[in-house]
Amino acid sequence: MGNQQSIARFWGVPLFWLFCLVIATFSFPYFEELFRQVAPNQRQVIYTRDSFFALLLNHLSLVGIAAIISILLGVSSAIFVTRSYGKDFLPLVSQIASMGQTFPPIAVLALSVPLLGFGALPTILALSLYGLLPIVRNTLAGIQGVDSAVIESARGMGMSSFQVLRQVELPLASTVILSGIRTSVTINIATAAIGSTIGASTLGDPVISGLVNGNTAYVIQGAILIGLLALSTDSLLDRLQNRLSTRR
Amino acid sequence: MLGIRFDKVMPLLTGASLLSIWSLDYVNLQPNRILPGVGYSLQDAVGWWWMFIVTTLLISAFLLSFIRLPTKRLLQLLIVSLLLVFMPISLSSFASNHIPETLTHARTGLGAAFWVLLFLLVLMLIELQQKLKLSRLIICLISILPIISFLFAYLDGGLETLAILREYNARSDQFHQAVKVHITLVSGAVFTSMLLASCLVALMRKVEAAQKIIFPLLNFIQTIPSLALFGLLIAPLGYLASKSEWLQAMNVSGIGWAPAMIALIAYSLLPMVRNTFVALEEVSSSIIEAAKGMGMSPLQVFIQVRLPLAMPVILEGIRITTIQAIGLTAVAALIGAGGLGNFIFQGLGQAAMDMVLLGALPILLLALVADLLFTSAMALFGRQSTRSGVIN
Repeated sequence: MGNQQSIARFWGVPLFWLFCLVIATFSFPYFEELFRQVAPNQRQVIYTRDSFFALLLNHLSLVGIAAIISILLGVSSAIFVTRSYGKDFLPLVSQIASMGQTFPPIAVLALSVPLLGFGALPTILALSLYGLLPIVRNTLAGIQGVDSAVIESARGMGMSSFQVLRQVELPLASTVILSGIRTSVTINIATAAIGSTIGASTLGDPVISGLVNGNTAYVIQGAILIGLLALSTDSLLDRLQNRLSTRR
Repeated sequence: MLGIRFDKVMPLLTGASLLSIWSLDYVNLQPNRILPGVGYSLQDAVGWWWMFIVTTLLISAFLLSFIRLPTKRLLQLLIVSLLLVFMPISLSSFASNHIPETLTHARTGLGAAFWVLLFLLVLMLIELQQKLKLSRLIICLISILPIISFLFAYLDGGLETLAILREYNARSDQFHQAVKVHITLVSGAVFTSMLLASCLVALMRKVEAAQKIIFPLLNFIQTIPSLALFGLLIAPLGYLASKSEWLQAMNVSGIGWAPAMIALIAYSLLPMVRNTFVALEEVSSSIIEAAKGMGMSPLQVFIQVRLPLAMPVILEGIRITTIQAIGLTAVAALIGAGGLGNFIFQGLGQAAMDMVLLGALPILLLALVADLLFTSAMALFGRQSTRSGVIN
């Protein structure tokens, strides 16, 4: 992938959405007249309680922290249950990972409030718990999908079991793992937006506040930013996944 | 003896259960809705005699893991079932021992130990089901037992102080209405998207170019978070409704059922179309050839061969769609669509946790029931569910 043009084309879609996201984050105040058309009866049509940039950063950090926790926990627990010392737990863990996805994320989010109260912390907990499931499931599928003959021959070459894991199993499973991470992050961006209702400050704030006060302009501003954030993250992860699978 | 290893899962789960009932509050008692509650441990709540029985049962389940006995897992299953049956009874016993008749507004909240114990018992049930290779049907039968004991305790009047039931009794009409709206929205969206998906799939099978437009479009919609899509539909729908009397007559406006329905259908299309299309395409061509060779007409081939063979995967698509729609409908309460989400968001607004539970628990239950129905339907079609497959 040496030439510049193909790199631009390869990363074009995520770059486009990122560009839109950045523009939208900073330019809403300049479109006051346009938003006034949408909400003619409102005194104020641009959400100003927090800057959109601050909300975006907050949203990103909630999702980011949750993603790091669920990747660390998810991948390591999937590795644990596929080793000989953890294999007792394999049926239970894989069953939970597939059954847990039956629970709607909004219910998980709501149930975390009685346990932890309002704010960013219960949101992060709910996001990381829910985000664990696709990662565990895909990591398990990825590791179990590695041909046992490949592992045998790696052992035969004198690799230790840690080397087999690091140099054979994880690289071969990486595409599937990344796809689990993508599912997890996409769900979490959406769920974090609803986290506004439990007191986490996210891009959902303008939407919720607009819905409560009947200010459609606020709703649109929040909704556009949430949508663009989801599209840029998802397309970025899609390209990464593509990169990983073509490099092999 | 070296070389013999024991399964570590049950000891861990039973050990954690013991720890939780000995260290955390099992229930808490509020004199009324506003005053803070007082916590009770399991021993305070049901007396030391019950505490002794529960502890003994858990310790036996713990010790059974280390014994070489062919039936040890069945015994553990029996213990887990007994404990599950005990849980509703424990609540009613607490109410009769600790709540005087004079406290007419008293509320029993479920404490951390209750939830942890319930969660661990469910995990044990799943674990034993997996290790004993029992069918899901037996597990369903076992889970009916605690439901029966719950109903028994409820009809006996022992559970009326339970906070979530107090909340339910205070607004039972609203609750039934919400359940009805929720189910109507979900089934409406699922049925409509089934019809639309069949048309789209038919189109895609005829015109190959349609695939290149439909899949990316549906993927695009699926990527947009629910709150954003609901929000973005408000302005255009509100505008259309203000222009058209016909739409106004149908009660369509920027908020309410209309944007919710549109968004739900839009989200439902991707899993529905993807599974239906893939399922129909993947029927092996040699089978189709054989059917043709037997003199079947193209229509017969489709209805008698292709469709039945594709059915499990199509049903899996409907399963995913339904479960997804149950959760999304909860979010739709924010744009005034009603349904069980109303209780969640109202409860969050008033910091009334029992009301949040009144919304969230039935949503969980609906999702579980839908899951069960569709997995049973898939089992009827003779193939194992494909739920262990990986989402890409």
